[in-house]
Amino acid sequence: MAPHDLRRPFKRPLISDQERRRQQSLLRQAQNRLDAQRQARFLASTAFSLSSQT
Amino acid sequence: VAGIELPHKQWPELIGSLLSNAHQLPAPTRQATLETLGYICEEVSPDVVEQDHVNKILTAVVQGMNSTEENNDVRLAAIQALYNALGFAQANFSNDMERDYIMRIVCEATLSPEIKIRRAAFECLVAISSTYYEKLAPYIQDIFAITAKAVKEDEEPVALQAIEFWSSICDEEIDILEEYGGEFSGDSDVPCSYFIKHALPFLVPMLLETLLKQEEDQDQDEGAWNIAMAGGTCLGLVARTVGDDIVPLVMPFIEENITKPDWRQREAATYAFGSILEGPSPEKLVPLVNMALSFMLNALTKDPNNHVKDTTAWTLGRMFEFLHGSALDTPIINQGNCQQIITVLLHSMKDVPNVAEKACGALYFLAQGYEDAGSASSPLTPFFQEIVQALLTVTHREDTGESRLRTAAYEALNEVVRCSNDDTAPMVAQLVTVIMMELHQTLENQKVSSDDRQNELQGLLCGCLQVIIQKLGSADPTKHHLMQYADQIMGLFLRVFASRSATAHEEAMLAIGALAYATGAEFAKYMQEFYRYLELGLQNFEDYQVCAITVGVVGDVSRALEEKILPYCDGIMTQLLKDLSSNQLHRSVKPPIFSCFGDIALAIGENFEKYLLYAMPMLQSAAELSAHTAGADDDMTEYTNTLRNGILEAYSGIFQGFKGSPKTQLLMPYAPHVLQFLDSLYLEKDMDDVVTKTAIGVLGDLADTLGGAAGPLIQQSVSSKDFLKECLSSDDHLIKESAEWAKLTLSRAISLPSY
Repeated sequence: MAPHDLRRPFKRPLISDQERRRQQSLLRQAQNRLDAQRQARFLASTAFSLSSQT
Repeated sequence: VAGIELPHKQWPELIGSLLSNAHQLPAPTRQATLETLGYICEEVSPDVVEQDHVNKILTAVVQGMNSTEENNDVRLAAIQALYNALGFAQANFSNDMERDYIMRIVCEATLSPEIKIRRAAFECLVAISSTYYEKLAPYIQDIFAITAKAVKEDEEPVALQAIEFWSSICDEEIDILEEYGGEFSGDSDVPCSYFIKHALPFLVPMLLETLLKQEEDQDQDEGAWNIAMAGGTCLGLVARTVGDDIVPLVMPFIEENITKPDWRQREAATYAFGSILEGPSPEKLVPLVNMALSFMLNALTKDPNNHVKDTTAWTLGRMFEFLHGSALDTPIINQGNCQQIITVLLHSMKDVPNVAEKACGALYFLAQGYEDAGSASSPLTPFFQEIVQALLTVTHREDTGESRLRTAAYEALNEVVRCSNDDTAPMVAQLVTVIMMELHQTLENQKVSSDDRQNELQGLLCGCLQVIIQKLGSADPTKHHLMQYADQIMGLFLRVFASRSATAHEEAMLAIGALAYATGAEFAKYMQEFYRYLELGLQNFEDYQVCAITVGVVGDVSRALEEKILPYCDGIMTQLLKDLSSNQLHRSVKPPIFSCFGDIALAIGENFEKYLLYAMPMLQSAAELSAHTAGADDDMTEYTNTLRNGILEAYSGIFQGFKGSPKTQLLMPYAPHVLQFLDSLYLEKDMDDVVTKTAIGVLGDLADTLGGAAGPLIQQSVSSKDFLKECLSSDDHLIKESAEWAKLTLSRAISLPSY
């Protein structure tokens, strides 16, 4: 039960640039996954519309 | 021992026997008893202690805290025990009489002659302010009086806790107003007591007083925390809580002190100004900032005191952070002052390390304000080369010592690169060679001796390369600038893995992920050498961040290589499955592992066949666990949704991967469970939007891949009817897009004959 550390960030940004890099990587990966998924679905949708035309 | 046994109801008599000690005469026995009760409350979850025992513990504790208790050690142990028992006291804090009594005893303890007791009592008040904010109204005036007295007269450790009480109230009110702000027009609907707003005329002068109590050299001591720092931090929180109302209360203090001969007054005035720049509206602040800007630029160059310069540079950074950017109507930076701002900041980067660090920070936010400038020429473009050169010079300074200066310079450099535009792309490409040289040099130095600073530098350089790779790799016209160096960059990253620093590994791994994305299929040539580090990263349970990032990089590599990743998949899948089965690995890594299954499956298609037998049962049991969240707290619900999304992304990748293959029937046995999972998610009604989007997409993927074979099953599911209907009329365009996809594939699957 030691006294709790009171210090708050002093003249520092709340999020470090390292944390920002991590977050941006995660965002990029999520976006890339979404793009890959969309591409797979787009190919399938195109195939549908082609087959329904014939 | 109690922490282990009590939750299993294996030591029911413990608390009773401890409580019988509380009345023992020898003070050391009472002290030890209260300490033990405190430790138990700290360790054990409130739901395993019966209310009757809680009442008795609190009675014993409050008796021990009473001013009639003559032994200070016993009284201190009692207060510390109360601190730990607060989470147990929900029922007692709901009872007016009991709460009044506890609060009276705590407030009395803040007046004890013993400093340790006063500090612990304020610590309790801080904890009460966050745990029982909604119960504080009857006591807040008395608490203001005792905190004001402590801030003014008491010793530092006590005064710091007294300030912390108000910071903690600000935290609570900021959270409440953020959650309810805008949604309710009538104040009575918002569970905010507006303590800060009401206390403002007394609170602000009290905090402004503290700003004048700076310590000599406080800016050079990384671990420093004193009354002036706590007071300024609290003032910043007050500004965020009340917005515009703080401005007229602080401005007279600034005007009175900013030109005084005593550095303490000038610094306090500047710190006060910097502290209130977040919260009040731009309409209120921009005119003030326009008036102050040239004064601040002058002070940063000419003030004789380093503290004043430090705070001035920090305040400039805050001006740029909150009042500069495309979202603001009135720019505070224009053609007239842009050059002067840059000249002053670059000049300050040659100042003492703490001032130079804040100047780098200011430049970071100056660049960030132009992030959305797009392809339009940024006002920083003409100065790009000069800025980059100045930052690189800072990174080479030999007087950075233990300060954050070097890190701040690389962070600013990263932001300048992130916010650069096509005009400066060739200069960013030149920077690649410079940073590569630096990284090469640290790797060479490491052969002679390795230390933490060297590892830290490697991390910073890999971070910088990651930002550059991401910047240049994001568009075809700039990508070719990067590709010519890809082999050399990768070679350097692989050498970084020889160091023992988790941070450097993490940064190198992140950068490699970005490089894999930029290089695409050509990344295959690095795989043989890279694979062992990939595997080591996946095995790094201890530094779970490294493991999590490596999992993400497996996804990047899968998308980049597609079927060329196949030779490495046995090893990767074995490790991922081991990670999932491990109790040691941090739970946050597990959802991305499931998503990664989907990435791999999408990349290798029907070749995923041999992993189905292992991956599907894992997905199935995780799905069952995650389907219901009843009784979970917010953190658990958020985690559950992340887990669900990972599981669904795995299913999506697997179904899409098998699409068009003669082996699709291998997935048929899993279809009932997947549909059941989607149904249970829908019926549970607690999915977030991301899960909803992924879930309805999975329904589409399943129908697309299995076609008519799954038609009857799909028709039986609630998801194919009510869930789909709801998603089709969603306002969220991603949910709607996935739902349109599901509608298309479902119509086809249902209309086709089943075999």
